[in-house]
Amino acid sequence: MKNLFYLLFLTLFISNCKDAIKNSEAKIDIEKGTAIEAEDAVIEETSNMAQRQQQEQAEKLKAEEHLDLIGFWVGYFERDSEADILFVDEGYIWNRENKINIAIDQIDGSNVVGHSVVAGNDRPFEGEMISEEDGSYAFTVKEPGDDRYDGIFTFTIKDSELIGTWSAYKKIEIPRRKYTLEKKTFTYNPDVMLEGAKEYVDWTKKIQTKEKVEMAENEFDEWISTQFASATSLIYTMNASNRLLEKSEVENLQKGDLTIIRNTIYARHGYSYKNRPLRVFFDAQPWYIPVHSNIKGDFTEIEKENIKLLLKYEQNAAEYYDTFGRG
Amino acid sequence: MNQAKRLVFKSIWYLSIVYFSYLMLLITVQYIPIDFEVAFLRVKEEAMSKMHYQLAFFSHVYTSIIVLLVGITQFSETIRKRYAFVHRNLGKLYVLLVLVIASPSGFIMALYANGGIYSKISFGLQAILWFYFTFAALRFARQRKWEQHQQFMIRSYALTLSAISLRLFKWIIANTLELPPMDTYRIVSWLGWIFNLVIAELYIYYFIRKNNRVFTKNKH
Repeated sequence: MKNLFYLLFLTLFISNCKDAIKNSEAKIDIEKGTAIEAEDAVIEETSNMAQRQQQEQAEKLKAEEHLDLIGFWVGYFERDSEADILFVDEGYIWNRENKINIAIDQIDGSNVVGHSVVAGNDRPFEGEMISEEDGSYAFTVKEPGDDRYDGIFTFTIKDSELIGTWSAYKKIEIPRRKYTLEKKTFTYNPDVMLEGAKEYVDWTKKIQTKEKVEMAENEFDEWISTQFASATSLIYTMNASNRLLEKSEVENLQKGDLTIIRNTIYARHGYSYKNRPLRVFFDAQPWYIPVHSNIKGDFTEIEKENIKLLLKYEQNAAEYYDTFGRG
Repeated sequence: MNQAKRLVFKSIWYLSIVYFSYLMLLITVQYIPIDFEVAFLRVKEEAMSKMHYQLAFFSHVYTSIIVLLVGITQFSETIRKRYAFVHRNLGKLYVLLVLVIASPSGFIMALYANGGIYSKISFGLQAILWFYFTFAALRFARQRKWEQHQQFMIRSYALTLSAISLRLFKWIIANTLELPPMDTYRIVSWLGWIFNLVIAELYIYYFIRKNNRVFTKNKH
């Protein structure tokens, strides 16, 4: 009898590993192009800087003509084929559209060189431009082809509007897209705040609870309610780019808020998101333009401090908030 | 209370205490070896920059787990009667660790508590009461006034157990009401020990006093 007791104790001990006091597998998502690692930052920074310098030089070389065509054309990259829309919940669906920035960098005669930034991809393109009789310009530009999502853009610019389609080289989920873009300039503005556009819903992590509800006498219906991580209205008031955040304002934030406030820093720098829920959220912000897929060297000192502070609490919330451990 | 009920309650009590003490042990183990940035300390950077806080924190963490574990068997009548030297010596260890290290270090940590003045007062008060109850219990033991010794030790251990109840309430609130983290912390910093003391006083009133009254009555 005693032995059975000891065995029970032992199994109790072994079965309860560290997960009782912390979520040991909790990881926070830090987008690849944004991590501030001391060593990485230097290497990435130099290659990033080189890339940027090339771009800037290319822009300087551009001819005086066609200044109205050169620059960032921004709008939605919509699906032009039958692909499933993402239905998360009543009131939250995603039509698989992404904000795209078609940047025409240089026009040399009929030769066009530029790059496109969309969904975390920054791809160059090159092609031809034809000047039409009615004052519009027709473009056909091709991406290199060594990336899975490369394809060919065909568009027309007329009366300050760019309308066109895109077709992928390879067989991917959404092989054809269409778009209507406007010319926009990107300036880094640390004071820009989030507006009430689309809500932030992280549909990749959900908690489902089942409930048996009695509808009529002895008739039960099983209702499944799903909960996703989201943010509160605090994200519209806190700016992590233009002032140093205090510990007292950050320590009471829930994980969704911490994630959004930190990622808004990246969005202000024009970071293009690979993470879908974040991308859908920031695409809906009218001031947001995807400009870079790597912004590691772009942070201001204030932003670096705030990112470190926010990450500390985000990590703490992920590991300890809903467990027995104090955290 | 018949024998069967008593046995059931006792088993539930001991199993729960042992289980939660085990979790507390897991939490303590995170801080071995000394690391200034692990777990809870990740969000206590300014406090950790001060040497007196470092000393207070680690001495509190390393002794409190012993205090918690040592107290488990002290309330067993069987052990007290059959192995009196165990009760006495574990008791001395308990008192020594609480009065000399765990309570004073707890008070220093209270001055730096997260959650603002609200939690600082709560933890400070806890440290003071913990010291007072334990000291009174020691004095009554020396004077061989066993009833009072028992009562004050119940109060002292109720505060020791607040380490567990605080975390339990936090777990409950986080998984039901889902309040923001610091608001939750401010609530549990009070709830954790007030709840325990209330239960302790009720227990003293209904079970200890009654039994002792009966005992003295029979004497005459």
